[in-house]
Amino acid sequence: MKKVLVALLVLASVAAPIIAGGQQGSEPKGPVTISLWTKEGEADGALQWVEALAADFSAQHENITVEVLNKEVEALREDFQTAALAGTAPDLLWSVSDHAGPFTTAGLIQPVDDFVDTSKYVESVVMNGSTWAVPIASGNHLMLMANKKYVSELPATTDEFIEVAKSLTKDDMYGLAYNLGEAFWLAPWLGGFDGSVFAADGVTPTLDTPAMLNTLKFLRSLKFDYGVTPTESDYAVADTLFKEGKAAMIINGDWSIGGYKEALGDDLLIGRLPKVSSTGKYPAPYTSGVYFFVPADLPAEKESAVKMFIEYVTSEKVQTEMLEKLSRLPGLRSALSSPVIENDPLMKGSVAQMEVGTPMPTVLEMRAVWDAINPELSAVMAGSETPEEAVKKMQEAAVNGIANLK
Amino acid sequence: MNSQVVLTALGQVSGTVFWMLVGFLLIEVSIWAVGNKVLKNKNTLVAMLVTPAFVGLGLLLVFPLLYEVVLAFSNMNLYHFRNPEFSLLNGLENFKRVFTKPVLQTTTFFPVLLRTFLWTSQVLIHASVGMLLAMLLNRPNLKFKNIYRAILILPWAMPQVISALTWRSEFNFEYGFPNILLNKIGLPGIQWKADALWNFIAMVLTNVWLGIPFMMVISLGGLQSISDEFYEAADMDGASGWTKFQKITLPLMKPVLAPSVMLGIIWTFNNFNIPYFINEMKLESSEILVTALFRAAFNFSQYGFSAAFALIIFALLFSMTLIYVKWTGALKGVTD
Amino acid sequence: MKKLGHQDPLWVKIIIHTLLITACLVTIYPILRIMTISLRPGDRLMSTSLALIPPDATFSNYTAALFEKDFFLWLWNSLVITLATAVIGLTLASTSAYAISRWKFPGRNAMLIFLLGTQMIPAAMLMVPLYLLAAKFGLINTYRGLVIAYSVSAVPFSIWILKGYYDSIPTTLEEAAMIDGASRMYTFWRIILPLTTPALAIAFLFNFMNSWNEFMLARIMLPKSGMFTWPLGLQSLQGQFTTQWGVYAASSIMISIPVVALFLYSSKWLVNGLTAGSVKG
Repeated sequence: MKKVLVALLVLASVAAPIIAGGQQGSEPKGPVTISLWTKEGEADGALQWVEALAADFSAQHENITVEVLNKEVEALREDFQTAALAGTAPDLLWSVSDHAGPFTTAGLIQPVDDFVDTSKYVESVVMNGSTWAVPIASGNHLMLMANKKYVSELPATTDEFIEVAKSLTKDDMYGLAYNLGEAFWLAPWLGGFDGSVFAADGVTPTLDTPAMLNTLKFLRSLKFDYGVTPTESDYAVADTLFKEGKAAMIINGDWSIGGYKEALGDDLLIGRLPKVSSTGKYPAPYTSGVYFFVPADLPAEKESAVKMFIEYVTSEKVQTEMLEKLSRLPGLRSALSSPVIENDPLMKGSVAQMEVGTPMPTVLEMRAVWDAINPELSAVMAGSETPEEAVKKMQEAAVNGIANLK
Repeated sequence: MNSQVVLTALGQVSGTVFWMLVGFLLIEVSIWAVGNKVLKNKNTLVAMLVTPAFVGLGLLLVFPLLYEVVLAFSNMNLYHFRNPEFSLLNGLENFKRVFTKPVLQTTTFFPVLLRTFLWTSQVLIHASVGMLLAMLLNRPNLKFKNIYRAILILPWAMPQVISALTWRSEFNFEYGFPNILLNKIGLPGIQWKADALWNFIAMVLTNVWLGIPFMMVISLGGLQSISDEFYEAADMDGASGWTKFQKITLPLMKPVLAPSVMLGIIWTFNNFNIPYFINEMKLESSEILVTALFRAAFNFSQYGFSAAFALIIFALLFSMTLIYVKWTGALKGVTD
Repeated sequence: MKKLGHQDPLWVKIIIHTLLITACLVTIYPILRIMTISLRPGDRLMSTSLALIPPDATFSNYTAALFEKDFFLWLWNSLVITLATAVIGLTLASTSAYAISRWKFPGRNAMLIFLLGTQMIPAAMLMVPLYLLAAKFGLINTYRGLVIAYSVSAVPFSIWILKGYYDSIPTTLEEAAMIDGASRMYTFWRIILPLTTPALAIAFLFNFMNSWNEFMLARIMLPKSGMFTWPLGLQSLQGQFTTQWGVYAASSIMISIPVVALFLYSSKWLVNGLTAGSVKG
């Protein structure tokens, strides 16, 4: 009887992948090399992690080798397009959702509905009825972080926020630091002031609106009226100020949590951006994530190997490991209920912020919007342009930029 | 880093050298056979000497140029990426767009052109400061001359990307040294990154720092080749320093300076690294033609349009250079 | 002037030295700042201090660059590519330049204008077609592709320099040798080339710098990290948001040293090699 049971179990374990159907990849017959381009860099240890994953996976499957290459986000997009043109594209991409727009428009990636069971994952990039990406991590959203040495509890409204920041700004100490000139840091507040970059159709820019005007006025006031931010601060300055304890609060994304935990230890506090006092709404940072994209030209003999690698990286074990090591929220639904999140106040804060976030548009037009907002935002924050002028110019630039794409 | 890497590299590179030599010989022998034996042409040796380099240049530079010409007559962009259409109409549309619509999001062609001219005119600063430093270095019996010279050419010797990134971080509002120095003497700091005008000035400052050494070295070479007899004769006539500079130094330096200034103009006009790294493609108000081209092609993926744009930039620089050559006779010493 | 051995009066000397010292300070200060950053400990990168040697200076960034990163690999890759480039480029240029200098053949002026024209092509315009070409010939991810591209792209400027220098060598030298029965190429090899050393040194230096520092083409042609040249390696220290500035600065310093040394070493030829052609005699 025991033997029969064992036999049955063995049979079941062998049969399981077959029964599960076309989703599962099968071991390739000959040696296969997958080239993977990833946007993960080594600064936060993410690239090392990806390389370790690739090595583990290659060790488990003797016929498959995964070659990892890091490219900075913008370079990844440019070089992938060039490589696709020459027919030398990589076999798999690990990148951000912004790339879905250009890649689908140009026909460079293929739907992943046949590769994985998309229902296992958090919301992904869906366009024209197909799913175009497999989520690796979700979130990628901005949130409010503070140093407990100066702030015991995160402010709940913008009025409180300003008061707290003002009281902490003195000498070489700032109440708040963030990347002043970058549209991604403006986006949450636009949501909080009840605005959105696109009209309901999802492609017509709506930047010349009272919401955008109020957003710019608010951000401007933080620097000019209340003086709580550094005069000029890009990402690196804000990041360093916060790590060195020279900024009490910072607005930054989930990717930075790991580094701050290391720098501040138990003094790190994470939560939602404060409710906008005048509208009573929470700022809505863009949520997106990190995704696998499958190139359209993937050779047939590599398909199953690519499938297996995707399955491996998005398995519950690896997803939980990512959560622990990199403090990023998983893309696999079942891993989202991990006790690691429940037990970690920082991760809980991150989830709380994500709940009020808004999915970042993945359409090609978004690119033109980013490029339209950035220079005007810089000009307003430099004091060389009024918010009123800026919103007009932004809208014009976005409309021009979109027209140019066609 | 292990022995395998070392061997692969050596193997590949020696293979390349070997095959290039074989190709080189093949070309040489066939030209020799055809030119000397069949045609009995007296220029066979010349052909043998110049062909390898020009075959290489043809492949590497002429092919891309032709490719761009073809591309300029297409509608290739992200919407027509895999199957662009090529037609005369598309070409006309692309060329027209360069002058009639924004080349990026807001900036149109002519303001960028004007800014590029302004940017290129800094070569005058390179040349005059370079000349001044060369004249100081060329004083008789100057002590520490070699030390001064070694230090002064450092910006030229440093890898450009490293200098550009260093300057970029030094233009930080709070932690860069220009602003710290300004604060020390009681002046407010400058917003080098966000303010359009100062951003442009930051680019120019960086490039002036980089461009002076070349001109200084060239001028020094020129000054050393001027015979002392001219100055001795002038001294006898009681000429003032200024007169000597005007009547002797400048005219005799012209054959040296004119071609160098021309190269300086071409390089500055086409300088990509400095505007790209200092501005970080943030402010359209700091773009010059070549960086705008890069953005149109790679950020906005407008392949067809940017091919037309590139050809216009190339044609513009080419005709400017020809005019300069005619005007200064910069190539006289070269074509003689 | 030198021959006269006359001296500037003291006050002129003071002005000259003051001006030169000021110029040197302006020149060297930004470079010293890189050194300062490379010496700062990792958690104190932003500072409003102008002290060139930070009080808590450390070499940890240097050891990190040398032993935790693939620093030697990058250096090796760059060195191999650069040396091969310089040798091939110089061979191509020295022969062509000699022909252009010595013979007035039809199409010579057109050739010179063409060489000048190659300097005017915007780099962004070349990238996609060059990549397509390299892909067609299977040169992606090989040192080969870059060596070919670099050695050819440095040719125009090298020809320019070398031709100018050949021009300044009197033709009577060759004529005398040829009367003695030496062949043209023998004369070129044994008499002319040795005389051209200063210009060859300069052309070598330019070829070297050109490929040592090139970044844009290397980025698309060498997608494998094992093949990275140093500019690609340095780039990999810059994440999307965070840069390891200290390690970056330390690597920059160490990478600049070979080129700067080469440059200073050849500076004795630099002055003559660059200008000989334009000022005859």
